[in-house]
Amino acid sequence: MFITWLTLLTLLPFLMILGMSFMKKTTGGWIALEPTVGNYARCFSWLYAKVFWKTIVLAGLATLSCLLVGFPVAYYLAKAQGTQRQVGLILLFIPFWTNFILRIYGIISLFGNHGLLNQTLLSFGLLDNPLQILYTRFGVYLGLLYNYLPFLVVPIFSSLEKLDFRLREAAQDLGANRVQTFWKIVVPNIKGGVFVGSLFVFIPMVGEYVIPDLLGGAKEAFLGNVMVSQFFVMQDWPFGSAIAGLLSVLLLVALWLHHRWGFVRPVGGIP
Amino acid sequence: MSLRLVEVSKDFGSFRLAPLNLTIERGEFFCLLGPSGCGKTTVLRLIGGFEPPSSGQIWLGDRNMTHFPPNERNVHTVFQRYALFPHLNVFENVAFSLRLKGTSKTSIEEKVRDILRLVEIETLADRKTTQLSGGQAQRVALARALVDHPEVLLLDEPLSALDPALRLKMREELKTLCRKVGSTFLMVTHDQEEALQLSDRIAVLRNGNCLQVGPPKMIYEDPVDTFVAGFIGPVNEIHGELAEDLGEQFTLQCTLGTFKVKKNGTPLPKQISLVLRPEKMRILRQKTAAENLVEGQVLDICYLGSRTEYNVRLPGTQFKVFEPELERMKKKSLNAGDRIFLTWKTEDAIVLRRVESGT
Repeated sequence: MFITWLTLLTLLPFLMILGMSFMKKTTGGWIALEPTVGNYARCFSWLYAKVFWKTIVLAGLATLSCLLVGFPVAYYLAKAQGTQRQVGLILLFIPFWTNFILRIYGIISLFGNHGLLNQTLLSFGLLDNPLQILYTRFGVYLGLLYNYLPFLVVPIFSSLEKLDFRLREAAQDLGANRVQTFWKIVVPNIKGGVFVGSLFVFIPMVGEYVIPDLLGGAKEAFLGNVMVSQFFVMQDWPFGSAIAGLLSVLLLVALWLHHRWGFVRPVGGIP
Repeated sequence: MSLRLVEVSKDFGSFRLAPLNLTIERGEFFCLLGPSGCGKTTVLRLIGGFEPPSSGQIWLGDRNMTHFPPNERNVHTVFQRYALFPHLNVFENVAFSLRLKGTSKTSIEEKVRDILRLVEIETLADRKTTQLSGGQAQRVALARALVDHPEVLLLDEPLSALDPALRLKMREELKTLCRKVGSTFLMVTHDQEEALQLSDRIAVLRNGNCLQVGPPKMIYEDPVDTFVAGFIGPVNEIHGELAEDLGEQFTLQCTLGTFKVKKNGTPLPKQISLVLRPEKMRILRQKTAAENLVEGQVLDICYLGSRTEYNVRLPGTQFKVFEPELERMKKKSLNAGDRIFLTWKTEDAIVLRRVESGT
């Protein structure tokens, strides 16, 4: 029963898109059943390669930032016990119990030209003109960071939590100071979880189009925007499908890496 | 370089370790013995540096290491569940402390191989830690802690996770290791047999208090109270009142009769406990004119090969008596329900002031 639904709702549409990516677009937005790899070739052309690159760089930066900001949060949560931890987790996730679009508008109201940040800075005389954050690449970056942060905190937190604190004590017992313990014991043991978590934040970021749309304005076109416009504006479904196909390849790579790296290792000692 | 605890105490709120004074000599095999919750692991963690003491000082030789973090003490720990690093193989686990010190590659190779040979796991050097049996993991933990010859090795119930046969084997190996390496071994255990077999000296703890410190023989034959007596080995207790003073002895009046009690040089209160070890009592098939004699009935018999254990019903109580095989085979065999007499030599009984039992 589950297989039927899985096939119908997930596999079939995916196969259709994949199939379409190998077709040609004809006038009027129809599809000609002539197999071609021209769509994929076009993905690698200069125009679109630039967009690919821009998107990957931004997603990479945003992921890295999520890591830098998220790691201390995850560390604190892993160290906290009982009520402290529960409160921390709730605070982390409260925004996610609201609608996604509302969250984006939350950013707009905070960082917009008439937003809270600018108004505060202006009223204190620290600025003459409002900071232009929205409708810039930085705005998109901020939106990505804010929106994806909890999704990276959770796998890091999970990895840290599974790490036996006795391993840290053992390392210190044998002569390691806090820094050495961190790099030699903590990092190697959470590497897998952190890497996989990062990947599962990076991949969706690459495909994002709502955030660049709302926060980046018309001039910041990222991969997601380009893909969506192929479907709804340019009526070039095959080409849009090709982009989608490439993104799917990325996802498959991520899944494969998870399969290789994502295992939780047991505490060494008694098997 | 002796290890000294000076008025060391720890307050956890729900549990308090009373101020402890202890001096442990270099190379000693010292056991902290006591029931669960007595504070023995707390003492270990204080020495290891994982908790700061609430008061007092910890000295190693002439260094006051009370406030040193664990990595600055020349003390290593074998944790109860070994805490081997899962991302490193056996060799790297053992080499860990040496690499931190920046020891040369050849020196590391040599020292690690040496210690692996000493604990007889040379062939396991390339194994992953997740592929080790309990006994092997324990040896790796030992090797890792001993490779750089620390002054003190702390062991937190290291044998409790092993099966009985392996446990007995490892006991002997631990003792040998201590002698060979020359470090001070400080072991926490709740197994009194282990403590008796391995230690040069034992400290018996209960409820955060150190009751007695001494060599195994002293703890066994000269316990300071009935708790220590009962913890270190099986006991039979008689409670009663001292009656007559007969010069070198007293007489003891109790429900089981009147017995002779040896004076041990300390002033005794009127209410005392007499502790009789099962192996120091004899079962007589017939009444004799012995100094201390009680009539009883055999409840059950347990043949254990080298000795036989009897549960004997006495008026108001039950005694355990051990009879060595050499004696038993010379006498008439007993059955449950037989009427017999128990006796003991006055000087074999331990005289103690009465103390409440229970942990």
